[in-house]
Amino acid sequence: MSETVIQTNNLTKEFTKLRGISSPRNFFDKVSFTAVRGINLTVSRGEIFGLLGPNGAGKTTLTKMLCTLILPSDGNATICGYDLARQQAQVKASIALISSEERSFYWRLSGRRNLEFFAALYGLSRRRTRQRIPEVLEIVGMSDAAERRFQEYSTGMKQRMALARGLLAEPDVFFMDEPTKGLDPVAVRNLHDFIRSQLTSRGKTVILATHDLVEAEEVCDRVGIMQGGRMKAEGKVSELAGDASLSDFFHNLIADPEKKS
Amino acid sequence: MTLRKPQAFLKKDFLMETSYRFSFFLQFGGIFFSVVMFYFVSELIGSAPSVQQSLSRYGGNYFSFVLIGIAFSNFLSVGLGSFSSSIRGEQMMGTLEAMLVTPTRLSTIIISSSQWSFAFTSLRVGIYLLLGGLLFGVDFGDANVIPALAALLLTVIAFSSLGIISASFIMIFKRGDPIAWLISSTSTLVGGVFYPISILPDWLQKLSYLFPITYSLDAIRLSLLQGYGFANQEVTRDLAALVVFSVITLPVSLVIFRYAVRRAKKDGSLAYY
Ligand SMILES: Nc1ncnc2c1ncn2[C@@H]1O[C@H](COP(=O)(O)OP(=O)(O)OP(=O)(O)O)[C@@H](O)[C@H]1O
Ligand SMILES: [Mg+2]
Repeated sequence: MSETVIQTNNLTKEFTKLRGISSPRNFFDKVSFTAVRGINLTVSRGEIFGLLGPNGAGKTTLTKMLCTLILPSDGNATICGYDLARQQAQVKASIALISSEERSFYWRLSGRRNLEFFAALYGLSRRRTRQRIPEVLEIVGMSDAAERRFQEYSTGMKQRMALARGLLAEPDVFFMDEPTKGLDPVAVRNLHDFIRSQLTSRGKTVILATHDLVEAEEVCDRVGIMQGGRMKAEGKVSELAGDASLSDFFHNLIADPEKKS
Repeated sequence: MTLRKPQAFLKKDFLMETSYRFSFFLQFGGIFFSVVMFYFVSELIGSAPSVQQSLSRYGGNYFSFVLIGIAFSNFLSVGLGSFSSSIRGEQMMGTLEAMLVTPTRLSTIIISSSQWSFAFTSLRVGIYLLLGGLLFGVDFGDANVIPALAALLLTVIAFSSLGIISASFIMIFKRGDPIAWLISSTSTLVGGVFYPISILPDWLQKLSYLFPITYSLDAIRLSLLQGYGFANQEVTRDLAALVVFSVITLPVSLVIFRYAVRRAKKDGSLAYY
């Protein structure tokens, strides 16, 4: 039996805020929006789990909840056996988040300086940092550009740096939110190869949110398709789609007027 | 706890700051102008007997009195302002989320975020004192440095706690923090930066005892200008007041900050601005 790494139980996020100035008379009324509803998910060690779904489906919100950046409003989860709500420190030590948010670097510093800073925050010793930075730069093909300021990088180069940062600490679980956004086809292929040959084959677990159905079909062991905060379908690609392509299955599922929320 | 993470913050902030070369040097220019300005002010009023009498507690010289006041009140503004401005900066840049997914304690993040500002301010204060001593003949010959440093350390802690509370406001409301504004204006008014508190009306003097700056400046002036040490009751009273203030406010401020981060995680607004 395979070991469970991520387990969520009715994980839900309802954002609430005061109506505020937009409607002065009802200033203190609460408006709420449920971005993620009752997700029950189990992911095993060494799996690549794809998170699919249209814009606004709740993929990023779910990912951030599992990374402790957003507090769930209901439900709970464990990551590597640690309770998401009560053992945040241990959870953080077990995960890396690789997002396509290019703002999450210091633009005025070089790629290398950025990596040095975050390596320290990930708890790498100075010695380990000196070893590890050239390794991750090599993996993402940024060795030659490491000394340039982050602001000078192209979109894809920024994305490569995000990958490099996520790889610094070698945790057990990788959350990747559209990691291939802006990458050229060669870099995408390299990333896929890397995920399989270096991560999952070594017992790492990857949650991969993506809009690229071909990518999902190629690399993911299982996928979950979200819409309106719900998990609409979940399973192995071959089992979900049967003879059809994942793309056909996805479009049918999302377009189904009855299930639309 | 190791210093690896705090050092990484210091290095990163140093590199960021010095990457704006012009602004880095410009910040020193202002020091010269304010020192010269107060030199002339003290030329104007310094010899009046009433002034000398009000300042007798600190040796009677207005220029050295005000030099220490403006130099060390820099720590007030940095303590109050730098936490919120660096947190806001990280929030705007989007780097706060990237920090918060790393296994780094919140207290390490918030405390480390202001190290550079304090280091830089110490440098600026040093320049104030140096200019005053070398060019304008302020006599630090009798200065008792150790109690002054003790007062400085406690001052930094006390002001930082207030600054962390202010950063918590910024974390939730993103802008418009009333605390820092109120404390900084009132401190400058009643804390004895430009004039001794003895000239204030009674009720304002009482008010001044609520603000740590009053004790900081008193202790630093007594030790630097009069050469008083730990044996002096006034100095120990000031230090004790600062200790009490810090012991209460620092833990409270960290709790408030933790709450603010929780609120932001609830709203999903860690990267909002
Ligand atoms: N902090 C927030 N406050 C209120 N609503 C939010 C907040 N963050 C996200 N939402 C809402 O939650 C829903 C899900 O957003 P989320 O970013 O998780 O979608 P997504 O699946 O990642 O979409 P995309 O494919 O565009 O990245 C959206 O409708 C969004 O407007
Ligand atoms: Mg998203």
